[in-house]
Amino acid sequence: MKRSPLDGSEHTNWIYLFPGLLLYAAFVFGPIVAALGLSLTSWDGLTVPKWVGLGNYIDLFSDNRFYIALRNNAELMIFYCVLPLGLGIGLAACVWNLKQQEQLALRTFLFLPYIMPTAVLGIIWAWLYNPAFGPFNQFLRAVGLGMFALPWLGDFNFVLPAVGIVATWYFFGFCMVIFLTGIQRIDPSLFDAAKVDGASARKTFFWITLPLLMPEIRVVLLLTVIASIKSFDLIFTMTRGGPANATLVPNIYMYQLGFELNRFGAAAAIAIVGALLTFAINFAIHRLVGSKSKGMA
Amino acid sequence: MSRKSNIPAAPLFLRLVLWLLAAVTITPFLLLLLTSIKSKADVLQGAFALPAYPHFENYLDAWNAGHFNIYFWNSIIVVIPVVAASVLLGLLTGFAFAYLSFPLRRTLFAILTLGMMVPAEAFIIPLYYEVRYLGLINTYTAVIVPQIAMSIPFSTIFLASAMQQLPEEILEAAVLDGAGRFYILRKIVVPLMVPAMSTLALFLFIWTWNEFLIPFILVNDDAYRTLPLGMLFFQGRYTVNTPVLTAGAVIVIAPLILTYLVFQRRFIAGLTAGATK
Repeated sequence: MKRSPLDGSEHTNWIYLFPGLLLYAAFVFGPIVAALGLSLTSWDGLTVPKWVGLGNYIDLFSDNRFYIALRNNAELMIFYCVLPLGLGIGLAACVWNLKQQEQLALRTFLFLPYIMPTAVLGIIWAWLYNPAFGPFNQFLRAVGLGMFALPWLGDFNFVLPAVGIVATWYFFGFCMVIFLTGIQRIDPSLFDAAKVDGASARKTFFWITLPLLMPEIRVVLLLTVIASIKSFDLIFTMTRGGPANATLVPNIYMYQLGFELNRFGAAAAIAIVGALLTFAINFAIHRLVGSKSKGMA
Repeated sequence: MSRKSNIPAAPLFLRLVLWLLAAVTITPFLLLLLTSIKSKADVLQGAFALPAYPHFENYLDAWNAGHFNIYFWNSIIVVIPVVAASVLLGLLTGFAFAYLSFPLRRTLFAILTLGMMVPAEAFIIPLYYEVRYLGLINTYTAVIVPQIAMSIPFSTIFLASAMQQLPEEILEAAVLDGAGRFYILRKIVVPLMVPAMSTLALFLFIWTWNEFLIPFILVNDDAYRTLPLGMLFFQGRYTVNTPVLTAGAVIVIAPLILTYLVFQRRFIAGLTAGATK
Protein backbone atom coordinates (compact mmCIF):
# COMPACT_ATOMS: atom_id res chain seq x y z
CA MET A 1 0.00 0.00 0.00
CA LYS A 2 1.20 3.48 -0.79
CA ARG A 3 1.98 5.44 2.35
CA SER A 4 -0.66 8.03 3.07
CA PRO A 5 0.41 11.60 3.86
CA LEU A 6 -1.46 11.17 7.14
CA ASP A 7 0.57 8.17 8.26
CA GLY A 8 2.60 8.64 11.41
CA SER A 9 4.73 6.60 13.74
CA GLU A 10 3.32 3.24 14.73
CA HIS A 11 2.73 3.96 18.38
CA THR A 12 0.78 7.15 17.68
CA ASN A 13 -1.26 5.29 15.02
CA TRP A 14 -2.42 2.90 17.74
CA ILE A 15 -4.35 5.71 19.43
CA TYR A 16 -6.85 5.65 16.55
CA LEU A 17 -7.11 1.90 16.47
CA PHE A 18 -7.16 1.14 20.15
CA PRO A 19 -10.62 2.18 21.47
CA GLY A 20 -12.61 0.37 18.78
CA LEU A 21 -10.46 -2.74 18.79
CA LEU A 22 -10.48 -2.98 22.58
CA LEU A 23 -14.28 -2.92 22.73
CA TYR A 24 -14.50 -5.36 19.85
CA ALA A 25 -12.03 -7.71 21.49
CA ALA A 26 -13.82 -7.56 24.83
CA PHE A 27 -17.39 -8.13 23.65
CA VAL A 28 -17.13 -9.90 20.29
CA PHE A 29 -13.80 -11.54 19.54
CA GLY A 30 -13.15 -12.68 23.09
CA PRO A 31 -16.57 -14.32 23.40
CA ILE A 32 -16.08 -16.02 19.99
CA VAL A 33 -12.81 -17.55 21.20
CA ALA A 34 -14.46 -18.44 24.52
CA ALA A 35 -17.33 -20.15 22.69
CA LEU A 36 -14.76 -22.25 20.86
CA GLY A 37 -13.17 -23.25 24.17
CA LEU A 38 -16.52 -23.79 25.85
CA SER A 39 -17.58 -26.17 23.09
CA LEU A 40 -14.77 -28.50 24.20
CA THR A 41 -16.12 -28.74 27.73
CA SER A 42 -19.13 -29.96 29.60
CA TRP A 43 -20.55 -27.11 31.65
CA ASP A 44 -23.81 -26.57 33.55
CA GLY A 45 -23.17 -22.87 34.14
CA LEU A 46 -22.47 -23.33 37.87
CA THR A 47 -19.66 -25.78 38.53
CA VAL A 48 -16.19 -25.78 36.97
CA PRO A 49 -16.30 -26.70 33.24
CA LYS A 50 -15.05 -30.23 32.58
CA TRP A 51 -12.80 -30.81 29.56
CA VAL A 52 -14.38 -33.27 27.13
CA GLY A 53 -12.37 -32.58 23.97
CA LEU A 54 -14.45 -33.14 20.87
CA GLY A 55 -17.05 -35.06 22.90
CA ASN A 56 -19.79 -32.46 22.34
CA TYR A 57 -19.22 -32.57 18.61
CA ILE A 58 -19.26 -36.37 18.56
CA ASP A 59 -22.50 -36.37 20.57
CA LEU A 60 -23.97 -33.82 18.19
CA PHE A 61 -23.31 -35.93 15.13
CA SER A 62 -25.01 -38.90 16.69
CA ASP A 63 -27.94 -36.75 17.86
CA ASN A 64 -31.07 -37.26 15.82
CA ARG A 65 -32.54 -33.88 16.81
CA PHE A 66 -29.48 -32.11 15.44
CA TYR A 67 -29.98 -33.81 12.07
CA ILE A 68 -33.65 -32.77 12.14
CA ALA A 69 -32.53 -29.20 12.81
CA LEU A 70 -30.05 -29.28 9.94
CA ARG A 71 -32.63 -30.75 7.56
CA ASN A 72 -35.20 -28.14 8.55
CA ASN A 73 -32.59 -25.46 7.96
CA ALA A 74 -31.86 -26.86 4.51
CA GLU A 75 -35.57 -26.85 3.68
CA LEU A 76 -35.90 -23.29 4.98
CA MET A 77 -33.20 -22.22 2.53
CA ILE A 78 -35.76 -22.72 -0.25
CA PHE A 79 -37.80 -19.95 1.38
CA TYR A 80 -34.91 -17.80 2.59
CA CYS A 81 -32.76 -17.96 -0.53
CA VAL A 82 -34.19 -19.64 -3.62
CA LEU A 83 -37.66 -18.05 -3.72
CA PRO A 84 -36.55 -14.47 -2.88
CA LEU A 85 -33.73 -14.76 -5.41
CA GLY A 86 -36.02 -15.96 -8.20
CA LEU A 87 -38.81 -13.53 -7.36
CA GLY A 88 -36.32 -10.69 -6.94
CA ILE A 89 -34.71 -11.20 -10.34
CA GLY A 90 -38.05 -11.67 -12.09
CA LEU A 91 -39.52 -8.57 -10.49
CA ALA A 92 -36.45 -6.46 -11.17
CA ALA A 93 -36.61 -7.47 -14.85
CA CYS A 94 -40.29 -6.40 -14.92
CA VAL A 95 -39.97 -3.23 -12.87
CA TRP A 96 -36.84 -1.65 -14.32
CA ASN A 97 -38.39 -0.28 -17.50
CA LEU A 98 -41.40 1.21 -15.77
CA LYS A 99 -41.56 4.96 -15.35
CA GLN A 100 -39.36 6.36 -12.58
CA GLN A 101 -42.28 7.32 -10.31
CA GLU A 102 -44.03 3.99 -10.61
CA GLN A 103 -40.79 2.12 -10.08
CA LEU A 104 -40.12 4.08 -6.92
CA ALA A 105 -43.61 3.46 -5.55
CA LEU A 106 -43.46 -0.29 -6.18
CA ARG A 107 -40.00 -0.46 -4.68
CA THR A 108 -41.18 1.37 -1.56
CA PHE A 109 -43.97 -1.13 -0.94
CA LEU A 110 -42.10 -4.31 -1.81
CA PHE A 111 -39.08 -3.37 0.28
CA LEU A 112 -41.08 -2.44 3.39
CA PRO A 113 -40.93 -5.82 5.24
CA TYR A 114 -37.12 -5.79 5.12
CA ILE A 115 -36.73 -2.86 7.53
CA MET A 116 -38.92 -4.48 10.20
CA PRO A 117 -37.75 -6.35 13.31
CA THR A 118 -38.11 -10.05 12.47
CA ALA A 119 -39.14 -10.83 16.05
CA VAL A 120 -42.12 -8.49 15.74
CA LEU A 121 -42.94 -9.84 12.27
CA GLY A 122 -43.06 -13.30 13.84
CA ILE A 123 -45.59 -12.13 16.41
CA ILE A 124 -47.67 -10.38 13.74
CA TRP A 125 -47.69 -13.46 11.50
CA ALA A 126 -48.56 -15.75 14.40
CA TRP A 127 -51.70 -13.59 14.73
CA LEU A 128 -52.35 -13.62 10.96
CA TYR A 129 -52.10 -17.43 10.97
CA ASN A 130 -54.23 -17.95 14.08
CA PRO A 131 -56.60 -20.85 13.31
CA ALA A 132 -59.59 -19.39 15.17
CA PHE A 133 -59.57 -15.65 14.49
CA GLY A 134 -56.58 -15.14 12.19
CA PRO A 135 -57.20 -12.95 9.12
CA PHE A 136 -55.51 -15.47 6.82
CA ASN A 137 -58.04 -18.24 7.47
CA GLN A 138 -60.90 -15.73 7.50
CA PHE A 139 -59.85 -14.70 4.02
CA LEU A 140 -59.70 -18.31 2.83
CA ARG A 141 -63.21 -18.97 4.18
CA ALA A 142 -64.53 -15.74 2.63
CA VAL A 143 -63.35 -16.70 -0.87
CA GLY A 144 -64.72 -20.24 -0.57
CA LEU A 145 -61.46 -22.02 0.24
CA GLY A 146 -62.57 -22.87 3.77
CA MET A 147 -61.25 -26.42 3.48
CA PHE A 148 -57.75 -24.96 3.34
CA ALA A 149 -58.24 -22.97 6.55
CA LEU A 150 -55.70 -25.03 8.49
CA PRO A 151 -54.09 -24.41 11.88
CA TRP A 152 -50.96 -23.40 9.95
CA LEU A 153 -48.51 -23.13 12.81
CA GLY A 154 -49.89 -26.21 14.56
CA ASP A 155 -49.80 -28.52 11.57
CA PHE A 156 -46.75 -30.74 11.42
CA ASN A 157 -46.68 -30.75 7.61
CA PHE A 158 -47.48 -27.12 6.87
CA VAL A 159 -45.69 -25.27 9.62
CA LEU A 160 -42.32 -25.14 7.87
CA PRO A 161 -43.63 -23.61 4.63
CA ALA A 162 -45.90 -21.33 6.69
CA VAL A 163 -42.88 -19.94 8.54
CA GLY A 164 -40.77 -20.02 5.39
CA ILE A 165 -43.21 -17.89 3.41
CA VAL A 166 -42.75 -15.13 5.99
CA ALA A 167 -39.01 -15.21 5.30
CA THR A 168 -39.69 -15.05 1.55
CA TRP A 169 -41.99 -12.07 2.10
CA TYR A 170 -39.28 -10.45 4.20
CA PHE A 171 -36.47 -10.89 1.67
CA PHE A 172 -37.88 -10.73 -1.86
CA GLY A 173 -38.23 -6.93 -2.03
CA PHE A 174 -34.69 -6.54 -0.76
CA CYS A 175 -33.47 -8.91 -3.49
CA MET A 176 -35.42 -6.95 -6.09
CA VAL A 177 -33.78 -3.68 -5.02
CA ILE A 178 -30.29 -5.20 -5.27
CA PHE A 179 -31.06 -6.60 -8.73
CA LEU A 180 -32.60 -3.31 -9.90
CA THR A 181 -29.32 -1.48 -9.28
CA GLY A 182 -27.56 -4.37 -10.96
CA ILE A 183 -29.65 -3.98 -14.11
CA GLN A 184 -29.10 -0.24 -14.12
CA ARG A 185 -25.34 -0.89 -14.03
CA ILE A 186 -25.53 -2.92 -17.27
CA ASP A 187 -24.52 -1.04 -20.42
CA PRO A 188 -27.83 -0.09 -22.12
CA SER A 189 -26.26 -0.51 -25.59
CA LEU A 190 -26.26 -4.26 -24.94
CA PHE A 191 -30.05 -4.21 -24.71
CA ASP A 192 -30.27 -2.02 -27.82
CA ALA A 193 -28.04 -4.42 -29.73
CA ALA A 194 -30.17 -7.37 -28.65
CA LYS A 195 -33.23 -5.52 -29.85
CA VAL A 196 -31.68 -4.74 -33.21
CA ASP A 197 -30.80 -8.42 -33.58
CA GLY A 198 -34.44 -9.24 -32.95
CA ALA A 199 -33.91 -11.11 -29.67
CA SER A 200 -37.07 -11.88 -27.72
CA ALA A 201 -37.54 -10.48 -24.22
CA ARG A 202 -36.96 -13.96 -22.80
CA LYS A 203 -33.72 -14.46 -24.74
CA THR A 204 -32.50 -11.02 -23.70
CA PHE A 205 -33.17 -11.92 -20.08
CA PHE A 206 -31.43 -15.29 -20.14
CA TRP A 207 -28.48 -14.31 -22.35
CA ILE A 208 -27.76 -10.76 -21.24
CA THR A 209 -29.46 -9.76 -18.00
CA LEU A 210 -28.95 -12.96 -16.02
CA PRO A 211 -25.23 -13.53 -16.76
CA LEU A 212 -24.39 -9.89 -16.10
CA LEU A 213 -26.20 -10.00 -12.76
CA MET A 214 -23.82 -12.65 -11.36
CA PRO A 215 -22.16 -10.27 -8.84
CA GLU A 216 -25.59 -9.34 -7.43
CA ILE A 217 -26.70 -12.97 -7.39
CA ARG A 218 -23.64 -13.78 -5.36
CA VAL A 219 -24.31 -11.01 -2.85
CA VAL A 220 -27.96 -11.99 -2.46
CA LEU A 221 -27.05 -15.66 -2.01
CA LEU A 222 -24.43 -14.81 0.59
CA LEU A 223 -26.75 -12.62 2.62
CA THR A 224 -29.79 -14.88 2.50
CA VAL A 225 -27.87 -18.11 3.16
CA ILE A 226 -26.21 -16.55 6.20
CA ALA A 227 -29.60 -15.23 7.35
CA SER A 228 -31.11 -18.71 7.04
CA ILE A 229 -28.35 -20.31 9.12
CA LYS A 230 -28.72 -17.68 11.84
CA SER A 231 -32.53 -17.74 11.76
CA PHE A 232 -33.75 -17.49 15.32
CA ASP A 233 -36.00 -14.49 15.99
CA LEU A 234 -38.69 -15.33 13.46
CA ILE A 235 -38.94 -19.02 14.39
CA PHE A 236 -38.68 -18.40 18.10
CA THR A 237 -41.57 -15.93 18.10
CA MET A 238 -43.75 -18.00 15.75
CA THR A 239 -43.30 -21.62 16.82
CA ARG A 240 -40.32 -22.01 19.22
CA GLY A 241 -39.25 -24.90 16.98
CA GLY A 242 -42.50 -26.85 17.28
CA PRO A 243 -44.77 -28.62 16.78
CA ALA A 244 -42.78 -31.80 17.43
CA ASN A 245 -39.48 -30.32 16.13
CA ALA A 246 -41.07 -29.50 12.75
CA THR A 247 -39.41 -26.05 12.72
CA LEU A 248 -36.42 -26.85 14.93
CA VAL A 249 -33.30 -25.18 13.53
CA PRO A 250 -29.76 -25.27 14.96
CA ASN A 251 -30.03 -21.89 16.71
CA ILE A 252 -33.33 -22.80 18.40
CA TYR A 253 -31.76 -26.10 19.47
CA MET A 254 -28.78 -24.18 20.80
CA TYR A 255 -31.08 -21.96 22.84
CA GLN A 256 -32.92 -24.98 24.26
CA LEU A 257 -29.73 -26.81 25.19
CA GLY A 258 -28.05 -23.76 26.65
CA PHE A 259 -30.64 -21.56 28.28
CA GLU A 260 -33.31 -24.16 29.07
CA LEU A 261 -31.29 -27.30 29.87
CA ASN A 262 -28.06 -25.63 31.08
CA ARG A 263 -25.91 -27.76 28.78
CA PHE A 264 -23.73 -24.85 27.73
CA GLY A 265 -20.87 -26.88 26.27
CA ALA A 266 -23.16 -28.73 23.88
CA ALA A 267 -24.94 -25.47 23.00
CA ALA A 268 -21.62 -23.79 22.20
CA ALA A 269 -20.72 -26.73 19.95
CA ILE A 270 -23.89 -26.10 17.91
CA ALA A 271 -23.00 -22.41 17.67
CA ILE A 272 -19.51 -23.28 16.42
CA VAL A 273 -20.86 -25.78 13.87
CA GLY A 274 -23.23 -23.03 12.66
CA ALA A 275 -20.36 -20.56 12.32
CA LEU A 276 -18.24 -23.13 10.44
CA LEU A 277 -21.17 -23.88 8.17
CA THR A 278 -21.47 -20.15 7.45
CA PHE A 279 -17.78 -19.96 6.54
CA ALA A 280 -17.97 -23.03 4.34
CA ILE A 281 -21.01 -21.75 2.43
CA ASN A 282 -19.48 -18.29 2.18
CA PHE A 283 -16.35 -19.81 0.68
CA ALA A 284 -18.30 -22.03 -1.69
CA ILE A 285 -20.41 -19.13 -2.97
CA HIS A 286 -17.31 -16.97 -3.46
CA ARG A 287 -15.71 -19.79 -5.43
CA LEU A 288 -18.65 -20.94 -7.50
CA VAL A 289 -20.83 -17.93 -8.26
CA GLY A 290 -19.74 -15.04 -10.44
CA SER A 291 -16.04 -15.47 -9.75
CA LYS A 292 -15.19 -13.66 -12.99
CA SER A 293 -16.51 -10.39 -11.61
CA LYS A 294 -14.21 -7.67 -10.44
CA GLY A 295 -14.48 -6.11 -7.01
CA MET A 296 -12.55 -6.26 -3.79
CA ALA A 297 -14.05 -9.49 -2.53
CA MET B 1 -33.78 8.87 -18.09
CA SER B 2 -33.79 9.30 -21.84
CA ARG B 3 -32.26 5.92 -22.58
CA LYS B 4 -35.52 4.29 -21.69
CA SER B 5 -37.42 6.05 -24.44
CA ASN B 6 -36.75 3.31 -26.97
CA ILE B 7 -38.01 0.56 -24.66
CA PRO B 8 -41.69 -0.26 -25.02
CA ALA B 9 -43.77 0.48 -21.94
CA ALA B 10 -44.55 -2.56 -19.82
CA PRO B 11 -47.88 -4.12 -20.75
CA LEU B 12 -50.84 -3.16 -18.62
CA PHE B 13 -51.38 -6.75 -17.47
CA LEU B 14 -47.86 -6.98 -16.10
CA ARG B 15 -48.23 -3.72 -14.21
CA LEU B 16 -51.51 -4.94 -12.78
CA VAL B 17 -49.77 -8.08 -11.46
CA LEU B 18 -46.98 -5.99 -9.96
CA TRP B 19 -49.39 -3.71 -8.16
CA LEU B 20 -51.39 -6.67 -6.91
CA LEU B 21 -48.20 -8.14 -5.48
CA ALA B 22 -47.36 -4.82 -3.84
CA ALA B 23 -50.84 -4.73 -2.30
CA VAL B 24 -50.49 -8.27 -0.95
CA THR B 25 -47.07 -7.41 0.46
CA ILE B 26 -48.32 -4.51 2.53
CA THR B 27 -51.63 -6.12 3.52
CA PRO B 28 -50.25 -7.39 6.87
CA PHE B 29 -49.36 -3.81 7.80
CA LEU B 30 -52.75 -2.47 6.72
CA LEU B 31 -54.52 -5.19 8.72
CA LEU B 32 -52.38 -4.30 11.69
CA LEU B 33 -53.32 -0.66 11.42
CA LEU B 34 -56.99 -1.49 10.94
CA THR B 35 -57.16 -3.90 13.87
CA SER B 36 -55.36 -1.48 16.15
CA ILE B 37 -58.33 0.91 16.03
CA LYS B 38 -61.02 -1.71 16.62
CA SER B 39 -62.79 -2.66 19.82
CA LYS B 40 -62.75 -6.28 20.97
CA ALA B 41 -66.33 -6.59 19.71
CA ASP B 42 -65.32 -5.21 16.28
CA VAL B 43 -62.63 -7.89 16.00
CA LEU B 44 -65.29 -10.59 16.23
CA GLN B 45 -66.98 -9.09 13.15
CA GLY B 46 -64.08 -10.33 11.02
CA ALA B 47 -60.57 -9.15 10.29
CA PHE B 48 -61.52 -7.17 7.20
CA ALA B 49 -64.61 -5.43 8.61
CA LEU B 50 -64.35 -1.73 9.40
CA PRO B 51 -65.05 -0.58 12.97
CA ALA B 52 -68.02 1.70 13.63
CA TYR B 53 -65.63 4.38 14.85
CA PRO B 54 -61.89 4.35 15.54
CA HIS B 55 -60.86 3.19 19.01
CA PHE B 56 -57.67 5.12 19.62
CA GLU B 57 -57.84 4.17 23.28
CA ASN B 58 -56.10 0.90 22.30
CA TYR B 59 -52.95 2.96 21.87
CA LEU B 60 -53.37 4.44 25.33
CA ASP B 61 -53.85 0.95 26.75
CA ALA B 62 -50.75 -0.33 24.99
CA TRP B 63 -48.76 2.73 26.00
CA ASN B 64 -49.69 2.70 29.68
CA ALA B 65 -51.11 -0.67 30.77
CA GLY B 66 -48.99 -2.52 28.19
CA HIS B 67 -45.80 -0.75 29.33
CA PHE B 68 -45.00 0.38 25.78
CA ASN B 69 -44.07 3.75 27.25
CA ILE B 70 -41.24 2.00 29.14
CA TYR B 71 -40.20 -0.10 26.12
CA PHE B 72 -40.30 2.91 23.80
CA TRP B 73 -38.06 5.04 26.01
CA ASN B 74 -35.74 2.10 26.61
CA SER B 75 -35.37 1.71 22.85
CA ILE B 76 -34.51 5.42 22.55
CA ILE B 77 -32.08 5.23 25.49
CA VAL B 78 -30.33 2.27 23.86
CA VAL B 79 -30.37 3.37 20.22
CA ILE B 80 -28.88 6.86 20.65
CA PRO B 81 -25.62 5.88 22.40
CA VAL B 82 -25.21 2.79 20.21
CA VAL B 83 -25.48 4.81 17.00
CA ALA B 84 -23.38 7.73 18.27
CA ALA B 85 -20.58 5.61 19.74
CA SER B 86 -20.51 3.23 16.77
CA VAL B 87 -20.14 6.07 14.28
CA LEU B 88 -17.47 7.75 16.43
CA LEU B 89 -15.43 4.59 16.95
CA GLY B 90 -15.96 3.66 13.31
CA LEU B 91 -14.44 7.02 12.34
CA LEU B 92 -11.33 6.41 14.45
CA THR B 93 -10.69 2.79 13.46
CA GLY B 94 -11.81 3.50 9.89
CA PHE B 95 -9.29 6.37 9.76
CA ALA B 96 -6.59 3.98 10.94
CA PHE B 97 -7.45 1.31 8.36
CA ALA B 98 -7.78 3.87 5.56
CA TYR B 99 -4.57 5.84 6.09
CA LEU B 100 -2.30 4.52 8.79
CA SER B 101 0.24 1.72 8.97
CA PHE B 102 0.55 -0.52 11.99
CA PRO B 103 1.76 -4.07 12.66
CA LEU B 104 -0.56 -7.04 12.01
CA ARG B 105 -2.71 -4.89 9.79
CA ARG B 106 -4.00 -7.76 7.65
CA THR B 107 -4.55 -10.01 10.66
CA LEU B 108 -6.51 -7.35 12.50
CA PHE B 109 -8.61 -6.71 9.41
CA ALA B 110 -9.35 -10.44 9.12
CA ILE B 111 -10.32 -10.57 12.80
CA LEU B 112 -12.68 -7.65 12.26
CA THR B 113 -14.36 -9.24 9.24
CA LEU B 114 -14.78 -12.39 11.34
CA GLY B 115 -17.09 -10.38 13.59
CA MET B 116 -19.22 -9.48 10.58
CA MET B 117 -19.66 -13.10 9.58
CA VAL B 118 -20.09 -14.83 12.92
CA PRO B 119 -23.65 -14.28 14.13
CA ALA B 120 -24.26 -13.11 17.68
CA GLU B 121 -25.97 -16.44 18.36
CA ALA B 122 -22.58 -18.13 18.15
CA PHE B 123 -21.03 -16.21 21.07
CA ILE B 124 -24.07 -15.24 23.10
CA ILE B 125 -23.36 -17.78 25.88
CA PRO B 126 -19.85 -16.52 26.76
CA LEU B 127 -21.12 -12.96 26.32
CA TYR B 128 -23.92 -13.63 28.79
CA TYR B 129 -21.48 -14.95 31.40
CA GLU B 130 -19.08 -12.09 30.78
CA VAL B 131 -21.83 -9.51 31.28
CA ARG B 132 -23.02 -11.40 34.34
CA TYR B 133 -19.47 -11.55 35.73
CA LEU B 134 -19.23 -7.76 35.28
CA GLY B 135 -22.48 -7.43 37.25
CA LEU B 136 -24.24 -5.75 34.32
CA ILE B 137 -27.23 -8.05 33.75
CA ASN B 138 -30.38 -5.90 33.82
CA THR B 139 -28.67 -2.60 33.06
CA TYR B 140 -28.74 -0.38 30.00
CA THR B 141 -24.99 -0.94 29.69
CA ALA B 142 -25.61 -4.67 29.06
CA VAL B 143 -27.71 -3.83 26.02
CA ILE B 144 -25.68 -0.85 24.78
CA VAL B 145 -22.00 -1.82 25.00
CA PRO B 146 -22.14 -5.24 23.27
CA GLN B 147 -24.15 -3.71 20.44
CA ILE B 148 -21.53 -0.99 19.96
CA ALA B 149 -18.84 -3.68 19.89
CA MET B 150 -20.84 -5.73 17.40
CA SER B 151 -21.24 -2.80 15.02
CA ILE B 152 -17.54 -1.84 14.99
CA PRO B 153 -16.57 -4.15 12.10
CA PHE B 154 -19.26 -2.78 9.79
CA SER B 155 -18.75 0.85 10.84
CA THR B 156 -14.99 0.56 10.38
CA ILE B 157 -15.10 -1.08 6.97
CA PHE B 158 -17.93 1.17 5.73
CA LEU B 159 -16.20 4.40 6.77
CA ALA B 160 -12.68 3.26 5.80
CA SER B 161 -13.80 2.52 2.26
CA ALA B 162 -15.56 5.89 2.10
CA MET B 163 -12.41 7.64 3.37
CA GLN B 164 -10.28 5.93 0.72
CA GLN B 165 -12.45 7.64 -1.92
CA LEU B 166 -11.46 11.12 -0.67
CA PRO B 167 -9.04 12.98 -2.97
CA GLU B 168 -5.56 12.66 -1.53
CA GLU B 169 -4.57 16.20 -2.62
CA ILE B 170 -6.83 17.74 0.02
CA LEU B 171 -5.19 15.69 2.76
CA GLU B 172 -1.70 16.40 1.42
CA ALA B 173 -2.41 20.12 1.32
CA ALA B 174 -3.61 20.02 4.91
CA VAL B 175 -0.48 18.16 6.03
CA LEU B 176 1.70 20.69 4.19
CA ASP B 177 -0.14 23.48 5.97
CA GLY B 178 1.09 21.89 9.16
CA ALA B 179 -2.24 20.71 10.50
CA GLY B 180 -2.19 17.88 13.05
CA ARG B 181 -3.76 14.56 12.21
CA PHE B 182 -6.56 14.77 14.70
CA TYR B 183 -7.32 18.28 13.48
CA ILE B 184 -7.42 17.01 9.86
CA LEU B 185 -9.75 14.19 10.89
CA ARG B 186 -12.11 16.57 12.67
CA LYS B 187 -12.05 19.58 10.36
CA ILE B 188 -11.46 18.07 6.92
CA VAL B 189 -12.30 14.36 6.87
CA VAL B 190 -15.44 14.41 9.04
CA PRO B 191 -17.21 17.21 7.11
CA LEU B 192 -16.57 15.30 3.87
CA MET B 193 -17.83 12.09 5.46
CA VAL B 194 -21.25 13.45 6.46
CA PRO B 195 -23.17 11.56 3.74
CA ALA B 196 -21.44 8.27 4.55
CA MET B 197 -21.86 8.85 8.28
CA SER B 198 -25.55 9.55 7.99
CA THR B 199 -26.12 6.45 5.85
CA LEU B 200 -24.23 4.43 8.45
CA ALA B 201 -26.25 6.01 11.27
CA LEU B 202 -29.45 5.11 9.44
CA PHE B 203 -28.44 1.44 9.15
CA LEU B 204 -27.31 1.32 12.77
CA PHE B 205 -30.55 2.91 13.93
CA ILE B 206 -32.67 0.28 12.19
CA TRP B 207 -30.49 -2.65 13.26
CA THR B 208 -30.36 -1.53 16.88
CA TRP B 209 -34.08 -0.71 17.02
CA ASN B 210 -34.80 -4.21 15.69
CA GLU B 211 -32.26 -6.14 17.79
CA PHE B 212 -33.84 -9.07 19.58
CA LEU B 213 -31.21 -11.53 20.81
CA ILE B 214 -28.99 -9.19 22.86
CA PRO B 215 -31.75 -7.67 25.02
CA PHE B 216 -33.55 -11.03 25.12
CA ILE B 217 -30.59 -12.81 26.72
CA LEU B 218 -28.86 -10.00 28.62
CA VAL B 219 -31.93 -8.46 30.26
CA ASN B 220 -34.80 -10.13 32.06
CA ASP B 221 -36.24 -7.19 33.98
CA ASP B 222 -39.22 -5.56 32.30
CA ALA B 223 -37.85 -2.12 33.19
CA TYR B 224 -34.98 -2.55 30.70
CA ARG B 225 -36.75 -4.24 27.82
CA THR B 226 -36.65 -2.62 24.39
CA LEU B 227 -39.64 -2.60 22.02
CA PRO B 228 -39.22 -5.96 20.20
CA LEU B 229 -38.75 -7.69 23.58
CA GLY B 230 -41.63 -5.81 25.12
CA MET B 231 -43.77 -6.98 22.23
CA LEU B 232 -42.89 -10.63 22.92
CA PHE B 233 -43.71 -10.45 26.63
CA PHE B 234 -46.77 -8.35 25.98
CA GLN B 235 -48.00 -11.09 23.64
CA GLY B 236 -47.65 -13.54 26.51
CA ARG B 237 -49.81 -11.38 28.78
CA TYR B 238 -52.44 -10.18 26.28
CA THR B 239 -52.99 -13.03 23.83
CA VAL B 240 -56.71 -12.46 23.61
CA ASN B 241 -56.61 -8.68 23.41
CA THR B 242 -55.77 -8.44 19.71
CA PRO B 243 -56.53 -4.70 19.29
CA VAL B 244 -54.09 -3.70 22.02
CA LEU B 245 -51.49 -6.17 20.73
CA THR B 246 -51.70 -4.70 17.22
CA ALA B 247 -51.60 -1.16 18.61
CA GLY B 248 -48.36 -2.16 20.34
CA ALA B 249 -46.99 -3.52 17.07
CA VAL B 250 -47.80 -0.22 15.36
CA ILE B 251 -45.89 1.63 18.09
CA VAL B 252 -42.85 -0.57 17.38
CA ILE B 253 -42.86 -0.22 13.61
CA ALA B 254 -44.16 3.34 13.10
CA PRO B 255 -40.76 4.98 13.75
CA LEU B 256 -39.17 2.54 11.30
CA ILE B 257 -41.69 3.30 8.57
CA LEU B 258 -41.34 7.06 9.10
CA THR B 259 -37.54 6.86 8.99
CA TYR B 260 -37.68 4.68 5.91
CA LEU B 261 -40.04 6.98 4.03
CA VAL B 262 -38.01 10.08 4.86
CA PHE B 263 -34.54 8.62 4.13
CA GLN B 264 -35.52 6.07 1.50
CA ARG B 265 -33.14 7.17 -1.22
CA ARG B 266 -30.15 7.39 1.09
CA PHE B 267 -31.00 4.03 2.59
CA ILE B 268 -31.32 2.21 -0.73
CA ALA B 269 -28.25 3.91 -2.17
CA GLY B 270 -26.18 2.87 0.83
CA LEU B 271 -27.59 -0.63 0.75
CA THR B 272 -26.76 -1.23 -2.89
CA ALA B 273 -23.35 0.44 -2.63
CA GLY B 274 -22.52 -1.73 0.34
CA ALA B 275 -23.93 -4.88 -1.21
CA THR B 276 -22.04 -4.70 -4.47
CA LYS B 277 -18.67 -4.18 -2.80
